[in-house]
Amino acid sequence: MSGRPPDFDELVGTDLAPPERDRLQRVHDLLVAAGPPPELPSELDEPPRPGTVHALPARRLRLVALAAALGVLVFAVGYLAGGGPDYETFDSVAMSGAGTAEDASATIEVFDADAAGNWPMEIRVTGLTPPASGKPYEVWLTRDGELAALCGSFLAEPDGTTVVPMNAPYRLRDFDGWVVVEEGSTTVLLTT
Amino acid sequence: MVRVQEPELTDGQLIARVAQGDRPAFEELYRRYARAVLGLALRRLGDRGRAEDAAQEAFVAIWRSARTYDPARGRGAPWLYAVARNAITDGLRRTPEPAAELADGPGGDPDPADRAESSWTAWQVHRALEVLPEHERPVIELAYWRGLSQSEISERLGIPLGTVKTRTRSALARLADALEEELE
Repeated sequence: MSGRPPDFDELVGTDLAPPERDRLQRVHDLLVAAGPPPELPSELDEPPRPGTVHALPARRLRLVALAAALGVLVFAVGYLAGGGPDYETFDSVAMSGAGTAEDASATIEVFDADAAGNWPMEIRVTGLTPPASGKPYEVWLTRDGELAALCGSFLAEPDGTTVVPMNAPYRLRDFDGWVVVEEGSTTVLLTT
Repeated sequence: MVRVQEPELTDGQLIARVAQGDRPAFEELYRRYARAVLGLALRRLGDRGRAEDAAQEAFVAIWRSARTYDPARGRGAPWLYAVARNAITDGLRRTPEPAAELADGPGGDPDPADRAESSWTAWQVHRALEVLPEHERPVIELAYWRGLSQSEISERLGIPLGTVKTRTRSALARLADALEEELE
């Protein structure tokens, strides 16, 4: 989350009638006070089926023990990098070009979880120009070679160098890689 | 996820249906409140994995407790908040690892009354966000929680600046309607 609340005048303009302006100003204040809601991970896409959640405490205990011992960030990124129990130094993920984007490359930096529990990240792409279709590119987490969870999309700069903030509401250890594809396509352009 | 066909149903009406074992009504409540419940759990627990488990347990509690809801005693939102908060607190007692109880604002460590007020406000705001149409929600999220200017949002979403401004104003008005009681 940015520490800078948006400028209310820029958001609504200056031509609103005073009562409506006051009403929207109060909503603005509430949004700033509330902060961002967390994104739902894929595990929470569906509501629980009461009577089928008895396994949760064991999973929770395991997670808590690991998190306490290793730190959530190191734990997640360590698994993501495939380093098994060696969690020490991974805080960025390198991606290389593939197929028609062979000369492209990218780096994803994963930062500390924000107050809502999401993982802010920044992807820096070089050598990837806008596609002829004009569509945005998408960053996905993968599992077993399949697109599994969308992290965000971006419009490439004409010179091929793009820096975009994103956010992953997922448990990163549940995935085994990252890819960039054109929206609506499964052809991998960047991969870990 | 299956959604009920009557979007005009209030939270209280949905809870009453859940009390009768109506699964689609439960799924609609989940759609409306999943992020608010997870947000509440994160504020209490701090740890993402524990919070996700606690959020699931909170919805199980809502399913099981629905028959205790009495519409004569108030709207559905406060009842859901109370059930979810209690379920999260119960889970915390069973696994008493240090709770994060994240500070609610600059200065940290607010007193319990302020913290409760802040949690309730966040609960209502996060619930209200679910009323926004898909094309309006991104302009609010990018402006408030990514710190993007209107011009930057226009560029990011690939839509005209005027459209960004129209959607922003419309979204704020829609939120004001949803938060009417909070704004009084």
